[in-house]
Amino acid sequence: MTAGVVATKRLTAFVALSLAIMCQPSLAEPYLAVQKGLKCSMCHTSPSGGGKRTAYGNVYHQAELSERTLNMGDLWTGELSRYLAVGGDVRGGWNQIDVPGQRKSSETDLEEFLAYVEIRPLPRYLTIYVDAKLRPEDPVVRSQYVRLSIADNRWSIKGGEFFLPFGLRLQDDDAFIRQVTGINFNTPDTGWELGFEQEKWSAQLAISRGTAGGPEVDSGKQYSLRVSHVTPTWRAGGSLNFNDTKFGDRQMQNVFAGLRTGRVAWLAEFDFIIDDGTPTGRRKLWASLVEANIALKRGHNLKLTVEYFDPDTDVSEDGQNRLSLVWEYFPIQFVQTRLGYRRYDGIPQNPAQNREQMFLELHLPF
Amino acid sequence: MGRRGVLLLSLLSCGIVSCSPGNGEGLDISGRPLNEGGNVPLAATLASVQANVFNPSCIVCHAGANAPQGLRLDAANSFTNLVGVPAQQDSSVLRVAPGNPDQSYLIQKLEGTASEGQQMPLGGPPVSQSTIDFVRQWITDGALPDPGGPADMPPTVTSLAPDPDSIIGDLPTEITAGFDQDIDASTINDMTFTLVQSGGDGRFSEGNEQAIVPASVTLSGANPRLAIMDLSGVSTIPDVYRVTLHGSGANVILGINGVALDGEFAVGFPSGDGTEGGDFVVEFEVRGLQPSLASIQNNVFTPTCSVVGCHSGPQGPNLPSGLDLSSSNASFSSLINSVSVQEPAILRVAVGDADNSYLIQKLEGTAAQGSRMPQGGPFLDQETIDVIRLWIDAGAPQ
Repeated sequence: MTAGVVATKRLTAFVALSLAIMCQPSLAEPYLAVQKGLKCSMCHTSPSGGGKRTAYGNVYHQAELSERTLNMGDLWTGELSRYLAVGGDVRGGWNQIDVPGQRKSSETDLEEFLAYVEIRPLPRYLTIYVDAKLRPEDPVVRSQYVRLSIADNRWSIKGGEFFLPFGLRLQDDDAFIRQVTGINFNTPDTGWELGFEQEKWSAQLAISRGTAGGPEVDSGKQYSLRVSHVTPTWRAGGSLNFNDTKFGDRQMQNVFAGLRTGRVAWLAEFDFIIDDGTPTGRRKLWASLVEANIALKRGHNLKLTVEYFDPDTDVSEDGQNRLSLVWEYFPIQFVQTRLGYRRYDGIPQNPAQNREQMFLELHLPF
Repeated sequence: MGRRGVLLLSLLSCGIVSCSPGNGEGLDISGRPLNEGGNVPLAATLASVQANVFNPSCIVCHAGANAPQGLRLDAANSFTNLVGVPAQQDSSVLRVAPGNPDQSYLIQKLEGTASEGQQMPLGGPPVSQSTIDFVRQWITDGALPDPGGPADMPPTVTSLAPDPDSIIGDLPTEITAGFDQDIDASTINDMTFTLVQSGGDGRFSEGNEQAIVPASVTLSGANPRLAIMDLSGVSTIPDVYRVTLHGSGANVILGINGVALDGEFAVGFPSGDGTEGGDFVVEFEVRGLQPSLASIQNNVFTPTCSVVGCHSGPQGPNLPSGLDLSSSNASFSSLINSVSVQEPAILRVAVGDADNSYLIQKLEGTAAQGSRMPQGGPFLDQETIDVIRLWIDAGAPQ
């Protein structure tokens, strides 16, 4: 079989899968969705992104994202049958932190091995999903839920433990907008989520315990609403979150957007938080992010991120910045390397707020 | 999207870049105004740990309604959320076990030795060992709170020993209850902190219940958030026991702010439904030592062998003879048909053969190698060892 025939077969499979999945609602790299002009649900089982990839997401990684595609014969889609699909993520790397006045610390680690299983007893209607972190001693389930979809996936409801819909679902849990809001991949919550998917609109409303992974401790609930409008070149959305707890309420709101201008995919999110559960009473916080992702050439992405965090709008001179420069390289399908530098700037009396970080990551998503 | 879009995003980027970091003027290390307490020297007190560890390193995430694992580490909540509270990630370990820093999940997470999850602060530089040593010392000193408590919130129960619904061998010599704030000592007595025995049927509605008369019921002199029921002199009778801390009725437990206990207990600590009043009612069972691994674990291995620095696990170079007796599973793996390190010809537990089990030889002091266990004594009485013999002779089931 000639290279041309293989390429043609791949392209045909890619287009066929694209068409087959186009009407369905779906890791956590929103810039890829912006570059492609697609909704998160195209590449991910979760409509708000992250976790297991769809068949399209897997094919996209093989056919378009990587610099080279090794010829494996068939393409991996994760679809073992129409009733069962699987996937995974392996992450590891080297990380060095340099805090002023302290010795540099560095570590090399296999950070996580995630396994995803999607069981579809009634394909297109009923899905059982499990996202677990595998470890030698005992696995930790990060997310597990049952989802019922109707009207050709336009409406869905899921119950169980899942990541809450709020803002851009970045892979980087340490980004101010994910760290400060407390909604990230470390904090799944248990509850129900109603989802709506339409050609250009996507919305999720979740009602959950509001304990960020902890057990129920009071009768209060957390309400999280995320709405987004997606076009081929831009997207915009907003999120609201209210967590009613006996420890004090928290109200969060954000706007987020994405835009493609030539080779650059832009992301932006602005979060405003009103927190009543602090020792000094009500506190208002800001966190924001602007990111430019420059597609240098196929398989190479340069990511420049600028972030700002104001821990209390009533206190001056307490702001923090975070600047990141990351080179992402996808040499072959299902292999991603990330080489990055981050610089934190905060108040001088806290050295940790003025640290620098270098990291090299290896990520195997499939 | 044309020039206008590019211009808009360029402006947004410039806007963020122009949000320069604060110069920290008038702020402490946590970025809070100095008039809120200011810098506190490092010391083995909660106030110092709060100011030098929790505030600057933890509360950017662990605060407010969305705190991960429900763990709030701001000044108003850190004590309540830590001391005597089981860790969410590993419920066999307390977040802070007063007097025992090695068995405190807080220390394990700060030092990066916890069995679950990543070292804290997540994504940030680790807290220096010299600073962690102050946290260790605070825990070693009993993990006492700072004086005072919330002004108008009802007190809640944050811990009870023995654990609710636990099965134990003997009636303990004392029952302790922890609260999230200082308690009015005059309201801790044998009418507000009670213990009842079911009468042998495990139920408490038959009219045959027996009230236990304790030697004393007091608030700890060292810790105003700890009530102690002294059961010295009360003999062990295998039965189900019910502990009640009264938050409603004529005699109730009051915080020093005069607000009654919020006691309702459903699943986990802390107690309460968010409003003043309600009794805290839990039960535990005393079974006495039985020839089963669970009973031997609870009554012998855990309190006698698995103390810190001895056979407390996990596996590592400092575990004596690699023998981990910290849990039923660990004990079973380490003992059953496992060759003794000191005497390779003998099995630690030879199933069905107590006489030729090294465990028995070490407990009875007849082993050819090493000293009698527990090392340094006191040694187990023969009646207790005989129960272990029975378990082995019966096949040493798990």
